[in-house]
Amino acid sequence: MTDCGCDKAKESLEEYLHNELCKDDASDIREHIENCPECSGEHRVGLVLREAVQRACQEAAPEDLRDQVLARIRTIQAEHA
Amino acid sequence: MIPATLERTETDWPAGSVSLLDMAEQSERHDRFEEQALPFLDQLYGAAVRMTKNPQDAQDLVQETFTKAYASFGSYRDGTNLKAWLYRIMTNSYINSYRKRQREPYLGAIDELEDWQLGDAQSTTASGSRSAEAEAIDRMPESVVKNALNAISEDFRMAVYLADVEGFSYQEIADIMKTPVGTVMSRLHRGRRLLRDLLSEYAAEQGHSVVPTAAAPGQKQGKGVSR
Repeated sequence: MTDCGCDKAKESLEEYLHNELCKDDASDIREHIENCPECSGEHRVGLVLREAVQRACQEAAPEDLRDQVLARIRTIQAEHA
Repeated sequence: MIPATLERTETDWPAGSVSLLDMAEQSERHDRFEEQALPFLDQLYGAAVRMTKNPQDAQDLVQETFTKAYASFGSYRDGTNLKAWLYRIMTNSYINSYRKRQREPYLGAIDELEDWQLGDAQSTTASGSRSAEAEAIDRMPESVVKNALNAISEDFRMAVYLADVEGFSYQEIADIMKTPVGTVMSRLHRGRRLLRDLLSEYAAEQGHSVVPTAAAPGQKQGKGVSR
């Protein structure tokens, strides 16, 4: 493991955040982030952005949608029976 | 309500019928669909709301998705990624029947924007203000985040949704959106960059309530910074 430097880290932060890096590359980035306040801050912004999106996107389907879907597929099944 | 006879095909149907085996298979497939696919209803609805930006269209889209999925459930290979399979069907349905009706987002044609127009964290945000930026995004009201998501173009929004909310890999998103992985990466990174800029702009506006950000001196993030 070696510190990959800021340029490489910044370039790879998005892939790092989304778990798209191979193990070795990911540990290089992790090590750099631990020692670099700037990249660590950048990474944190990426993380909270993802969390903000997750919070905003929590939706529960309306109660009757499930019933409608069930009714529809059961009708299809009955027609083909 | 389901007629009781449907559930008792084995006993109620005349013995010796050639379709008896088919019936049993069909009934088993039906049960499997209800058991395995239906639990994704809330998730698919959430994605449908993001796609259509409209709860009624979202319900119709989910209904259509499950109907199509049910009809082709025979072609789904057990043990493969059912969630991704459902998302693929929903994305296709959306493109075929809903997209035409959608109004263009106001940040349209974004694929044509150059990188410099999208901003660049490294050059615009000093490391000191980055923790403030993270804090502001962390406290952002959900309605503001939703508006920001609705403001970016559909391809960007869906890439962000599929990666950040659903946790799909780049390859899975590429399969769902039928685009190369490189395109997924670009949409996802640019989409997230745009969201971040929109949210940071909002935060800056709130911080300076009446004063537009462009004029605020020393403002590190926001549209006033030349890029």
